[in-house]
Amino acid sequence: MIEFHPETAAGTITRFIRETLDKNGFKRAVIGVSGGIDSALVLALTVDAIGAENIHALMLPYRTSAPSSLIDARTICQNLSVIWSEIDISPMVDGYFAQVKAEVSPKQIGNFCARQRMAVLYDHSEKQNALVIGTSNKSEILIGYSTVFGDSAASMYPIGDLYKTQVFALAEILPIPSSIIKKAPSADLWQNQTDEADIGLSYAHLDELLDLMVDRRMTRAELIDRGFDQNEIDALKKRIRLSHFKRTMPSVCKISARSAGIDFRYPRDWGK
Amino acid sequence: MKITIAQISPVLGDLEANYDMHKLNVEQARDQGSQLIVFPELSLSGYQLKDMVEETALTPSHKIFSDLCQLSNGIDILLGAPWEEPSGIFYNAALYFAEGRLRHIHRKVQLPNFGMFEEAMIFKPGDTFVPFERHGHRIGLLICREILFPINPYLLFMQNTDVILAVSNSPYRGIRTEGDYYSLKLWERMGEICSIHFHQHYLFVNRTGFEDGIGFGGGSFYAPPGQSIQERAPYYDPHVMTVNIDPFLTRRARLNGHYLRDDKPEMVLKELKRILHD
Repeated sequence: MIEFHPETAAGTITRFIRETLDKNGFKRAVIGVSGGIDSALVLALTVDAIGAENIHALMLPYRTSAPSSLIDARTICQNLSVIWSEIDISPMVDGYFAQVKAEVSPKQIGNFCARQRMAVLYDHSEKQNALVIGTSNKSEILIGYSTVFGDSAASMYPIGDLYKTQVFALAEILPIPSSIIKKAPSADLWQNQTDEADIGLSYAHLDELLDLMVDRRMTRAELIDRGFDQNEIDALKKRIRLSHFKRTMPSVCKISARSAGIDFRYPRDWGK
Repeated sequence: MKITIAQISPVLGDLEANYDMHKLNVEQARDQGSQLIVFPELSLSGYQLKDMVEETALTPSHKIFSDLCQLSNGIDILLGAPWEEPSGIFYNAALYFAEGRLRHIHRKVQLPNFGMFEEAMIFKPGDTFVPFERHGHRIGLLICREILFPINPYLLFMQNTDVILAVSNSPYRGIRTEGDYYSLKLWERMGEICSIHFHQHYLFVNRTGFEDGIGFGGGSFYAPPGQSIQERAPYYDPHVMTVNIDPFLTRRARLNGHYLRDDKPEMVLKELKRILHD
């Protein structure tokens, strides 16, 4: 496990959530809760930051979602005294795909589900005058294991700088049910999906390599020297590079002297 | 000398809101009998200015500049601001106001420009470390990264500086094994080098709050001459505290260590010339 101090990180994250909401003029948050560990952790941290009464959790299952996910999602909300709504996105998703004549892949459905969830979360954001709190972690952000404009859409990423293995460590010190901590991580976009099977690496291994590569800036030669397989290193680097579009705003074609996204440079917290 | 440390969280890019925050703290410190109040680096503007530097820079003709001069009647004020003089040239500056005027200005020499820092993109660097006399002390100013180069407080030490006001905007980062962040330890280590080896009253004043996800760590402190850190503000949260500077401590520390007497600046100069030119 990457060396890490969960209590300090938890304190930082709760201050970040509280202050970011406050400086943007919001008191409330909406969070999509899947029953997985990332959203359970973000929910627990947000409860610490602003209180359960200021949070609305949304469970947004599709008809193929594992029933156990919904049970876990309800349990964490119940434990944390957070109000939740369950909205079945199957009619939205199936309504669209019923009009598609060609064959549809599981990935297409998975991505579409993620974007429908985003649409529902943002509708609640508007309706409840609340910000959408994202649940992406550092492992998935770095390798691009997300649906662009889907689960990656949020106003802030409280655990965006925590590797998945650190997410597990932090969950241990917060009131998160062991059923959530113990089960295999899954995007639950199709039946029996697991993250580690999708990625082709265990999170423990992936995170160790990412930490050395990204945080500690080790070169390829150093990593090989440490016993990592060179094909694995190259494949991971390629994956990081090819998913960079998910971590940046779309490129603007520069025409003028000063262009948004290029040299019109203001922080996100401009005036806040 | 009674000094108030104002560990605040400025509003990014809102000079008026920050001026009001300063004014409130200044008036409270003055009413409590402090002779000086110290705010963090870029306290009037916030840190991640990018293009906002054009709109947030202080100039000698700015209304807030004259308001600050006015506010410094009855208490000295050290604050941080982007300073525009001449027109179109910006410095990351520490401004010392006293008795209704700008008494001293220090322009940051080492501008961090790597990773999350891009100060050299918006600021011109300063090139000197000059102390000034006030309330019977010789005061030297350091801004954030300048603290981390031991030669800078050494230059002030050579000029017989007995009070260092080190202002900072230090983002905390690097959670590994400790409850604190390694980036905060950097400042504490350097502060104690100055207090113990340069016999300086060392005040470190850092900010708190978040800007674009980056949190600033607080943990402002005071280390008296010859001693380790004696008083510290909490990490992460805004805090105001007042310390009393005992003017006799520097002499006592010098008598115990004699670092100033035994220092050899001529040798340093000779060696630097040899290293640079031979």
